[in-house]
Amino acid sequence: MIEVRGLSKSFGSAVLMMDLALDVAAGELVAIVGESGAGKSTLLNLLAALDRPDGGTIRIDGVEVSALDDDGAARWRRVRAGFVFQAFHLLPYLDVEQNVALPLLLNRVAAGERRERAHSALASVGIANLASRTVASLSGGEAQRVAIARAVVHAPRVVLADEPTGNLDEANAQQALAVLREAVKREGAAGVLVTHSRIAARSADRALLLTGGRLEALAQP
Amino acid sequence: MNAALLRALLAGSFANRWRALLAVTCIALGVALAGAVHTIHSSALDEIGRAARTLAGTADLELQGPRNGFDDALFAPVARVVGVSVASPVLDLEATLADGTGTLRVLGIDPFRAARLQAGFVAPPAGASVATSAEPLDAARAFLTPLALAKSGMKVGDDLGLRAGSSVVRLRIAGALPALDDGGAVAVVDIAAAQQAFGRVGSISRIDIRLAPGANAAAVREALAAMVPPGVAVITPDADSRLSASLTRAYRVNLTALALVALATGAFLVFATMALQAARRRGEFALLRALGLERRDVALFVAAEGAILGAVGSLLGTVLGLAAADLMLHRFGYDLGAGFFAGAGQVLAPDLLALGAIASLGIATSVAASLAVAKSLARLDVAQALRDRTADLPVAGVPIAIPLALLAIAGVLATLPSIAQLPLGGYAAIAMGLGSAVLLVAPLMRALLAHAPRMEHPVTFLALAQVRSLPGHLTATVAGVVVSVALATSMGVMVHSFRLSLDAWLDGVLGADLYVRSSPLGDSGFFSPGDVARIARLPEVAAVESLRYDRMLLGDPPTPVTVIARPLWKRVLNGFQAQPSGGPAKEGAIGAWISAAAVDLQGWKAGDEITLPLAGRPTRIQIVGTFRDYARTWGAVLIDQADYRRASGDERANDLALRLREGVATAKAADAVRRALPEARLAFDDPGEIHQRSLLLFDRTFAVTWALEAVAALIALAGLTSSFAALAWSRRREFGVLRHLGLARRDVLSLLAVEGAATGALGALIGLASGAAVSAVLVHVVNRQSFHWDIELHWPWAALASLVGATIALCSIGATLAGRAAISREAVFAVKDDA
Repeated sequence: MIEVRGLSKSFGSAVLMMDLALDVAAGELVAIVGESGAGKSTLLNLLAALDRPDGGTIRIDGVEVSALDDDGAARWRRVRAGFVFQAFHLLPYLDVEQNVALPLLLNRVAAGERRERAHSALASVGIANLASRTVASLSGGEAQRVAIARAVVHAPRVVLADEPTGNLDEANAQQALAVLREAVKREGAAGVLVTHSRIAARSADRALLLTGGRLEALAQP
Repeated sequence: MNAALLRALLAGSFANRWRALLAVTCIALGVALAGAVHTIHSSALDEIGRAARTLAGTADLELQGPRNGFDDALFAPVARVVGVSVASPVLDLEATLADGTGTLRVLGIDPFRAARLQAGFVAPPAGASVATSAEPLDAARAFLTPLALAKSGMKVGDDLGLRAGSSVVRLRIAGALPALDDGGAVAVVDIAAAQQAFGRVGSISRIDIRLAPGANAAAVREALAAMVPPGVAVITPDADSRLSASLTRAYRVNLTALALVALATGAFLVFATMALQAARRRGEFALLRALGLERRDVALFVAAEGAILGAVGSLLGTVLGLAAADLMLHRFGYDLGAGFFAGAGQVLAPDLLALGAIASLGIATSVAASLAVAKSLARLDVAQALRDRTADLPVAGVPIAIPLALLAIAGVLATLPSIAQLPLGGYAAIAMGLGSAVLLVAPLMRALLAHAPRMEHPVTFLALAQVRSLPGHLTATVAGVVVSVALATSMGVMVHSFRLSLDAWLDGVLGADLYVRSSPLGDSGFFSPGDVARIARLPEVAAVESLRYDRMLLGDPPTPVTVIARPLWKRVLNGFQAQPSGGPAKEGAIGAWISAAAVDLQGWKAGDEITLPLAGRPTRIQIVGTFRDYARTWGAVLIDQADYRRASGDERANDLALRLREGVATAKAADAVRRALPEARLAFDDPGEIHQRSLLLFDRTFAVTWALEAVAALIALAGLTSSFAALAWSRRREFGVLRHLGLARRDVLSLLAVEGAATGALGALIGLASGAAVSAVLVHVVNRQSFHWDIELHWPWAALASLVGATIALCSIGATLAGRAAISREAVFAVKDDA
């Protein structure tokens, strides 16, 4: 599903990626760990076509996303990608259901179907009862479940999660990771989880260490 | 709050230097405009006052007659009134230089009497004392002030040529009068010689009077008032400057009001800046409150911020205003384009008290704007604010009853009569109306958003959801647009209405083919009956109408009234839009029409009988109706030429209106008139030129108004852009998320454009409605009470539609431009930023 070959990226004299390769299969959740500044988030931005590599290719579900222009990349993300952020980033002026339905709205899905699919996504992460709540009234764990529901509501081919447990306590973190892994499996998407926490990485199918510009397999996540 | 904490907080508040600078600039501009307008006029009035004091010397009172003078037989009884120590007759006229390049004020005096009031009237020959040098002036000699010498380009010993009627009088310049230099450009001539030379035998303009030591001034004044005929006013020497101040008061107050509008707009920007700061630092304030800072400490801090912005802005504005006044005085003179003052000194005379008051107003408006923010911050929910990073403005809500009550009060205020000849009720009504419109924005927004249709397009859906979630920001921004559009609309409608009314009036009153003026600049020229007859015989001329003007002070306090005598055919009366509401004149009385200014200032009405001096002869006049006079802001009386001549015996004319024979070009007729009166220095105007010149003068007069309005609008726009920029920056994480979720950069820009356009449209529509109401008050109340002109309301539909379109476009563009930085690559990655 995700095929990264010969990827390189530098910022000035700092080389973050050098001939990097990555493969993630459909329904697989891969954790990428590394020290701060190792380039984990940069790799995620490259996978999301929000940044351009200096060299190499990124092919996701048959689309070479590294070659897309700004508008093409936006269209691709709208249809094919889902995101989960450390700070949840729910829009405060939309309620829970509307936040979850946002990717469907951007994809011009009709209002009735939007509501139905949003409810279904909320139910799949165990918080169907929160649909009409405001974002401000949610706990951290609830907010992150809403964010995961938003990431998968439009059946994306890739789910990219950037430190999704950074703002959660251990119990909520474990629950959120379990929900994320389950969602990835259910949707048959390729999941990439970026984290500095090796404990979080254990919830993934595989864990890779980003170091020296390359990815190395971690023996025991 | 201790000083160290206050300093630390203030350092944080001015971290965004550009926004603070913009707010300071706006306050500075408002203060500078008000200060400059006030300083220019105080300088003009100071010069007029100085000139009057210099020429009056030690005189305590003046008997001031009509411009065309009064009978000099009044002098002897006045001089004999008990309590009068010195009486000095003066013939005062503005004479045109022979070459027509300018005018000099000519004072015909009795040197022996005048020197007892002002020794400076007598030029001391070298080595002689003033007391021994008062050699009598003779007919061929004039003494000039240094300013008059400079203005005429002459020196002592030269011959000074001045227009008198249609010929030229030549006077030898016998000396200079340096002691009278503050009196302006003046030529002093023997009174008898002046009467002879300028065709004013038996006539004087005024009598200067010094009271005897210990005389009861009030009693003398009363005695004098009882003996003078109508048209001769008993005034004090400083009345000139007071009269000028009174004539220009409305114009000055209107300009100052506009400058204050700029200041108020600046205050709005301060409010927007402070409110955005407050929104940005909401979490910080919440933390400080959680750590124990009291509500009043927060209010004190926000007020201190406003006071600092206001003080810096006011100080800069005062300096800027003085510099601008100095520059404008030297480049444009005192009149600011309105033609009220013609002073030559151009000396800056700032009124420090007034400047201090304007600067204080700048600080006060800034503090008031801050306190409005402080009031909202006092209600901050600390626990909520610590969790939530929403960037809405803390705008306080008011019950809808308050704006509705303000509207009702505005309606009542608009019906009040003028106070001290100023439309204070009208101004208050406008301020309350605008205030009400601003306060109505929030409830209107709530109602509109509650009933807004559901949007399916992602961009419009998100835009609507966004504006719903930020009612404070929306209210503040829309309020800014409302005020700007309302002011632009009201000014546009007022000026358009006035211009169309003036245009129609000019079309009506300019019925002749060619107009000839005897004295284009001064009042020393005239046409004698012989001159008129010579012109009437010209083969190019089909008919001649004589126009005669006089100006006098009437009423208490004395205010000017112009008498216009001309043939009053039906066509002419129609042209002046005369309304014959008083019925025909009674037997023995002369029928006359009066202007709206005469109704307002003299208290006359149709049907009244008044006595006016026509060429010095008291004459019974019956007011038979009113007419429109857009040429002056003081009263005017229109009477038929035949009646005037019969009553006064005065057959002279100031101007002539010629009807030309079929096919005769105006240039050819003008040449023929010049040949008929070769000595005269005449000015010719065809109606088209007068029409064009009048509209040009109109546009010039309103140029200052437009300039002030433009500054206010620019300030408001700067404020809006600043608001949009701050909001967009505070939403950069949201834009980052939307970019992650698949919105392209141009979609986010479209989102901002829609939000800006929606804000602009709402503001423009409410502003248009408010502006229409304000324009009705401007036209029917402020204009009528300020300038005493009746004007019909005309709507410039195309311009108003353009205004609405431009406002929507500018708001949309402003919001888009302001948001560009917020969707940059770095901003997209701001989703990582948890700050």
